[in-house]
Amino acid sequence: MVIDVHTHAEFMEPMYKGDEVTRQRKEIMGREFLGYSDISMALFQMDHAGIDKRVLLPLDLTTQYGCTIVSNDEMKKLVGEAPERFIGFASVDPYREDAIKELDHAFGELGLSGLKLNPSKQKFYPTDSIMKPVYEKCIEYGKPILFHCGTSWEPNTPAKYSKPLCFEEVAIEYPELRIGLAHFGWPWVQDTAMMLLKYPNVYADTSMLYCDRAKDFFHQIFKVDLSPLWIENMFSDKVMFGSNSPRFGEEDMKYGLEKLGLRERTLAKVLGGNAMKFLGMED
Amino acid sequence: MKMKLDSFELRTKNEFDMINITERVHKFVEESGVNEGMVYVMTAHTTTSIIVNESLPCLETDIEEKLEEMVPKDAQYAHNHFLPSYGATGGNCPGHLKSMLCNYFAYFPVKDGKVVRGRAQEIYFAEFDGIQDRTVYMQVVGE
Repeated sequence: MVIDVHTHAEFMEPMYKGDEVTRQRKEIMGREFLGYSDISMALFQMDHAGIDKRVLLPLDLTTQYGCTIVSNDEMKKLVGEAPERFIGFASVDPYREDAIKELDHAFGELGLSGLKLNPSKQKFYPTDSIMKPVYEKCIEYGKPILFHCGTSWEPNTPAKYSKPLCFEEVAIEYPELRIGLAHFGWPWVQDTAMMLLKYPNVYADTSMLYCDRAKDFFHQIFKVDLSPLWIENMFSDKVMFGSNSPRFGEEDMKYGLEKLGLRERTLAKVLGGNAMKFLGMED
Repeated sequence: MKMKLDSFELRTKNEFDMINITERVHKFVEESGVNEGMVYVMTAHTTTSIIVNESLPCLETDIEEKLEEMVPKDAQYAHNHFLPSYGATGGNCPGHLKSMLCNYFAYFPVKDGKVVRGRAQEIYFAEFDGIQDRTVYMQVVGE
């Protein structure tokens, strides 16, 4: 099973309509020139890349921008287009007065599979007191949270909210909450390594490609910046394949991981096995 | 003088793909009403080409392998960096270079309402950065 845990839904039809909503979403997300794909193209690309499932991520920016980058209800409809291939996450703006009610709706009624939050874009520290009921609600439903972590190319995203160590106290206080640190916390990959090493409930995805090609960038991160054996010997149960598609090419990101020269069983965990644990798909 | 512009869409099936579009160009010209003149076929993309060559699987393989040898996927390219205007990382430099090597358009005379071409000259749309949806333009000009 190969699972891409980090893809963005707003560039797939029917979310991408070429209208004012689309223009606003592109501007907010800093993706002016990126095109879109329809559902059949997305599935064809997945088949060609050997990817079984995609996690689709939304973002609720109600208080910052007065909009969502794919609402939870839209996400439910999108997943319905290919329920065997798409895994839909929810998002909620923690500053919304009805945040917990919306989470109940997203998990309880819509059946979405996890929560996506971006502290830099949504402007909260992970240890803020407003987050407590959000974390408790995720634990109640057994849903993981994928946090944006590290740098973000999107406009208006101070990194101070999203450095890997910002999540340490959350990992300590909520050991039953499955926490995913997106983008491997780049460029603070050593800090992410510490989080993976120390906290059993913390995972990280590979959706980082800010220089070079994926093959070269992953070599630099996993063979040079981190010791070559760490991913094999210390993090083989913690690292998840994520592409950040369409910002980075899904097939090329997978190819880059495959070229790391990992043991077969380690690569299988990175490409899907660890995501299954994170998503709660294992018995 | 008559002038007509038309386009069509293609969905490529691989990173490298060659799709024979000869019949589409013929049909466009024959329905245009132009008897004497010229037709241009142009790709709208910078990682694709319009190639004219003989339609043989062995030649398609040779074209693919020789281009890959000249512009290897895993080489170092200046284009491999974050592009702020796209909000994405450029990873398709080989496609751009192959497109440059193979050209972005082809031209054919039109005589008696038909495309004039050599017996072995087939018109291909060539993809170097698939899988994608692509657009091809055709313009016929004449009397």
